[in-house]
Amino acid sequence: MTKAIAELQRSAEEEALYCVRCGLCLSVCPGYRESLNETDSPRARVALVRAAKEGLLEVSSDGYSTAFFRCLLCGACTFVCPSGVAVDRILELTRGELASLGLLPQALADLDARIAEYRNISAEANEGRLIWVDNLPTPPTGLGKERAKVAYFVGCVSSFFPRSYKVPQSLVQILDLAGVDYALLGGAEWCCGYPMFIDGEPDRARELIHHNVEAVRAMGAQKVVTTCPSCFHFWKHSYPAALQVDRMEDLGLEIQHATEFLADLLELGDLKLHELRQNVTYHDPCDLGRKGGVLEAPRRILAQIPGLRLVEMPENRDSSYCCGGGGNLESFAPEMSGAVARKRIQQAAAVGAGTLVSACQQCERTLANAARAEHMRIRVKDITEVVLEALEE
Amino acid sequence: MTDWIQELQTTIGAAKVLISPIDRIAYSFDSTFEQQLPDAIVLPETNEEVSAAVRIAARYDVPIVPRGMASGLAGGSIPTRGGIVLSLTRMNRILEIDKENMTATVQAGVVTADLQAEVEKLGLFYPPDPSSIKQSTIGGNVACNAGGPRCLKYGVTGDYVLGLTVVLADGRLVKTGGKAIKYVTGFNMNQFFVGSEGALGVITEVILRLICKPPYARTALVHFPTLEDASQSVHAVLTRGLVPATLELLDETAIECIEEAMHLGLPLDVEAILLVECDGADKESVNREIDTIADICLQTGASRVDVARNEEERAELWRARRSVSPSLARKAPNKLGEDITVPRSAIPEAARRLKAISDKHGLPIVIFGHAGDGNLHPNILFDKRDPEQWQKVEQMVGEIFALALELGGTLSGEHGIGTFKLPYMRQALGQASINIQWRVKQAMDPQNILNPGKVLPEP
Repeated sequence: MTKAIAELQRSAEEEALYCVRCGLCLSVCPGYRESLNETDSPRARVALVRAAKEGLLEVSSDGYSTAFFRCLLCGACTFVCPSGVAVDRILELTRGELASLGLLPQALADLDARIAEYRNISAEANEGRLIWVDNLPTPPTGLGKERAKVAYFVGCVSSFFPRSYKVPQSLVQILDLAGVDYALLGGAEWCCGYPMFIDGEPDRARELIHHNVEAVRAMGAQKVVTTCPSCFHFWKHSYPAALQVDRMEDLGLEIQHATEFLADLLELGDLKLHELRQNVTYHDPCDLGRKGGVLEAPRRILAQIPGLRLVEMPENRDSSYCCGGGGNLESFAPEMSGAVARKRIQQAAAVGAGTLVSACQQCERTLANAARAEHMRIRVKDITEVVLEALEE
Repeated sequence: MTDWIQELQTTIGAAKVLISPIDRIAYSFDSTFEQQLPDAIVLPETNEEVSAAVRIAARYDVPIVPRGMASGLAGGSIPTRGGIVLSLTRMNRILEIDKENMTATVQAGVVTADLQAEVEKLGLFYPPDPSSIKQSTIGGNVACNAGGPRCLKYGVTGDYVLGLTVVLADGRLVKTGGKAIKYVTGFNMNQFFVGSEGALGVITEVILRLICKPPYARTALVHFPTLEDASQSVHAVLTRGLVPATLELLDETAIECIEEAMHLGLPLDVEAILLVECDGADKESVNREIDTIADICLQTGASRVDVARNEEERAELWRARRSVSPSLARKAPNKLGEDITVPRSAIPEAARRLKAISDKHGLPIVIFGHAGDGNLHPNILFDKRDPEQWQKVEQMVGEIFALALELGGTLSGEHGIGTFKLPYMRQALGQASINIQWRVKQAMDPQNILNPGKVLPEP
């Protein structure tokens, strides 16, 4: 084991020492709540780190690696822990150790290799990032623009997965209606690096981070807006450390999620929003809400739309229940991921919502799939779609 | 693979029998610092599967340790002699809520908070409220006779058990009690299994008595410059004929720990606080009661009374109370939380002696608990990696139990004995009582396979 890894591992173990094994994390862990098997709990993962340290088992033991990747990374355990154990940090460090020992699950190792080669998660030519503009009635003003105040960082999923095209399509139409000076990066946008980070290979993300920051600075942008909560969370909370600054503002860049940008924009009152008579509930994406700290902006947006009634699910804001799409769990345990998604969509139905609104392309996809699987008459929409709808009518 | 594991897998299904090193670690502990690996874990989903597992354990003479969510604080669900851990968490169905008779029939693995939420939707109420309400199960609550703050007014888990389904040590299924409130027919078999810590049988289903949800509650935080006065106030309130739902005591160290973790603005210049809650069906009388209690407290030494103005403030106070135990973790790597009870009037003396024990050994003791019941949770904070500290802790525990017994109290009010309090059982009960109880255990479990080495010392 290299010295650096030994140091990392030591701090994961030290963090693990604070766990008093009270088990409160089990009550909020979506994975445990599905399997009802302690092995799938945050408490067990912390115990495994300790057990490895105490020599009770090897990290190469069967199932050790799986235990740390069978997790949605929703962060609910870290948030609820009364002892303040940073379970997310323990996971991060342990995944790092596993990766360095070549014990990363193959699907994730392949994903990281793909990103390193193609600069996106889909192994497609990176120049194809803007294919979604083809279906728009008029080309967005941000297309091909070399300089702008705002850089819209679209993210891999919305760039390459047709299902999610509607997210950037909606946002650029809103930005154009509002006359915002923004630019799209196209092929100059590379994967933000988050997948590598959560796969335990943070060092591989470094090149991507530097490139992206250079790309937005080259266009003179003062603000980076993302629609993907994971891009947002990573840009805002992990980029600074990689760039050796305290905050992105130290580099003259403000990082905003689209919901923050739109909330401010709509509250100026320049855009006329039409009535949408709907009962909606809002699902907080983990990377945006609990982990990203953006809880009120989406609600401020919904409050601006006349006729729209927001009914909250009991597990909302910081206590939001994951959509099931987090942490790449789908690639290892699609059943668990699907079951978590079904539980969440049932919670939305239970409060009488006709539409579930989220602010994440991943949440939208997993929850819409769950609604279909359950034969439920509930619409699932990204918040940008809802805003555009209110602007168009 | 041993024969019995193979047989478990063929009979119950390989997916419900876990044997990997990872799984064995996950099921090796409870909420204490002890651990011991089981050889296998069974995750049954039906009474029949529980029965099959116990039958195989009996045939091969293998220890079998039932558990719920393992939030126990006495080592009760740790497989100290290896063998099988029988995790009942997947038996989590609420089988029936009978509105008319006000009962709930549930499987053992139902989470207590989930049951409460379900019955409250119907205006009903299941009062027992251990701090581990979200991470403990009804089966575990019954097996440990769990208490909680509200038990001052409403009674403990055992007071709500009307009937049980239990798998006996030979795998047979027996039902005790029923929905009838009065049931004087033979020995009281319900109470026989209540608090038996899995040593007499495996509880798989429970019929619980429910009451109506009191619609009004008011909660007050009372500041006391001295712990003695807090204790006097508890006495004064109860002897005036007032029965608040809770009278929770927290000493200065406990307050400091919560405040460090949660920043709620709790007072840091007092020796104790009391958390008082009144509830009931009539708003005016609840308000009157909390006001009267506030007056009594102010007359008996309280420096300040803050009544929560709304539900958020009230919820926050209770979140604080429930976080005491885990919030101690930042103070020291390990804590040993005891659960002594003393006659209520002896609380000030108990607190004084606990402080003296702490001073003598140089390790902090945090005191909190259910003052109205005389049930205190002194928590010793230490670092188990330091052998000298561990030695001191062992001496301190002995002294704490001795003081509880000297003051006319006992070892445990609601956590149970597990393995942690086993060495003190003779002192607490006397040999004659141990002998009788051991004969009962032998009658129920002649092979000593059900959670062996717990609750009762071998005579």
